[in-house]
Amino acid sequence: MAAIIEVKDLVKVFDGKIRAVDGITFDVQEGEIFGFLGPNGAGKSTTINMLVTLHRPTSGLAKVMGMDVVKEATKVRRVIGLVPQDLTVDDDLSGRENMILQADLYNVPKKDAVERINELLKLVKLEDAADRMVKTYSGGMRKRLELAEGLIHRPKILFLDEPTLGLDIQTRTIMWEHIRKLKQEHNMTVFMTTHYLEEADSLCDRIGIIDNGRIMALDTPATLKRSLGGDVIQMSIDDARDFTPQIQGVPGIVEVKKEGSEYRVKVIKGDTAMPAVLKAIIEAGGTVSSVSLQRPNMDQVFLEYTGRSLRDAEQAENSNRGERMARAMAAQRRR
Amino acid sequence: MMREMWALYVREMKHWYRIKIQIFMALIQPIVWLGLFGQSFNITGFFPPVPGFDPSTFLSGAPDYFSYMATGMLSVIALFTTMFAGMSLVWDRRFGFLTKLRVSPIARGIVPVSRMNSAVTRAIIQALIVLLIALGFAYIPGLIGLTLSPEFNLIDLLGMVLALVLLAVGFACLFISVALAVENQDTLFGLINLLNLPVMFASAALLPLAFMPDWLQAVAKVNPLTWAADACRTFAFHNANPIFPVWQEILFLGIFAAIMIGVSVFAARKLLK
Ligand SMILES: Nc1ncnc2c1ncn2[C@@H]1O[C@H](COP(=O)(O)OP(=O)(O)OP(=O)(O)O)[C@@H](O)[C@H]1O
Ligand SMILES: [Mg+2]
Repeated sequence: MAAIIEVKDLVKVFDGKIRAVDGITFDVQEGEIFGFLGPNGAGKSTTINMLVTLHRPTSGLAKVMGMDVVKEATKVRRVIGLVPQDLTVDDDLSGRENMILQADLYNVPKKDAVERINELLKLVKLEDAADRMVKTYSGGMRKRLELAEGLIHRPKILFLDEPTLGLDIQTRTIMWEHIRKLKQEHNMTVFMTTHYLEEADSLCDRIGIIDNGRIMALDTPATLKRSLGGDVIQMSIDDARDFTPQIQGVPGIVEVKKEGSEYRVKVIKGDTAMPAVLKAIIEAGGTVSSVSLQRPNMDQVFLEYTGRSLRDAEQAENSNRGERMARAMAAQRRR
Repeated sequence: MMREMWALYVREMKHWYRIKIQIFMALIQPIVWLGLFGQSFNITGFFPPVPGFDPSTFLSGAPDYFSYMATGMLSVIALFTTMFAGMSLVWDRRFGFLTKLRVSPIARGIVPVSRMNSAVTRAIIQALIVLLIALGFAYIPGLIGLTLSPEFNLIDLLGMVLALVLLAVGFACLFISVALAVENQDTLFGLINLLNLPVMFASAALLPLAFMPDWLQAVAKVNPLTWAADACRTFAFHNANPIFPVWQEILFLGIFAAIMIGVSVFAARKLLK
């Protein structure tokens, strides 16, 4: 497979001092869903904006379908679609009028446009609201309209900057389905950014973990998780004795950590090791009062590669927007 | 290219006619001016007619000051209307629409030109409405209305529209260029105000040149607003003694419009990369 996006030593410095993107290098393959995962201010949007010709790189090289994003900007613009983080739909037009305008801007053949617009409005479930002014839309509806607009000219590569930010779980799941379907049906390449771990995990073929403008890790979600070294069994045993030796006797145990009555046991395959561990403790006369199995998730991956949890990283970011997003994210998690 | 241009033109026009209040606001000002200043400062009415003295000789052929001012007001309307073209660009930057245009593959020059087209359309529609209102004043008892030359015909009307179109093209492109260069909206509003009032007062739009000190006359003579206002009066009153011959005024306006289009397209190419 050929690389459809090539990025080499890309740097963006704002105002001579803010190194928003600090020398990143990666390739995206055709037909792939590639995700950038990182906290607020990591440089995700800045990277996308350079790839879609909105920002001029300070140094380094970026090519989209073999075309330089600076020197061949107009050609690049024809083959890409963008759903930006900050919405660009026109409030004072109806949804349909926005779509027609977009079709005109991208020179979509007039006879195809009407059909495509209906199809896309249906896809994002806006057919009933299509003739209402966008200013009467909810945030989620606007976002969906923006997605539909980004697809009108059948781009080869779709750039999604936080496509599901601010959407409820239901809408988010629908959005994921769309993205997967687009990839399958049109072999479209998707470059997306997110700071939702589940999203990166379930949607992306490969993930780049980005922090402070640098790529900290880049691989498939499965490999990234595997690199952490397996599952964790968390147990509480209300007993003065130390059961560490008994647990270590079970095959496949990597490490045992004890803190008071809490045990954290790292194992290679948690689901098969857990019964054996419980059996060993019971046979030694211990009583397990609670037990849980934790599979490695993207949060732990993030922690491993950036030295902080995604949530902490978000909180460290002091901007208003940062706070708002962190709150939104926490609210999302609580559900 | 025509398709994108037309699409953006239609968008701007939709914005305009959907926000009825905006049309109302844009019209209310000239009407108030025509009503208040035009009627109350109708200087020619202050004095009893002096035998052998014809006010039209120093009012570019207008029979009274109200007619003089009403014709100049058409150019002022064009100026004020086109200023919105700059402001709407700043809104579009603010609300992200400009980002959409920048990532789309359209030629950059389409952004200012489509906007200019819609601003000119609005300017002409509003100027024609003001013209009708000024003419209508004649039918309101106690008020004076705009009195045109008895030989005023369609060609004259088209001549006026041409002068106003060229004026509006020039100023729309000027304001759009400024808006492209200045990203901050407060700075832009400040700049536009800084520009508007001097342009209006240092011109023959509202006051005959003869009433101005020499230095102001010199400024007014190179002010496009003077050219347009004077050309309109030549057409409206069949004025025999214009500031410049009407063909020259139209030519100057044409050059002004062409240069400003060039500037705005250049600014868009540079600044909307
Ligand atoms: N136009 C700009 N001028 C100056 N600094 C900027 C500009 N755009 C972004 N930055 C800075 O660059 C850094 C990276 O910003 P960017 O928007 O790329 O982050 P992000 O990863 O997309 O974050 P988020 O999750 O909040 O969207 C931040 O420190 C930000 O303040
Ligand atoms: Mg961002």
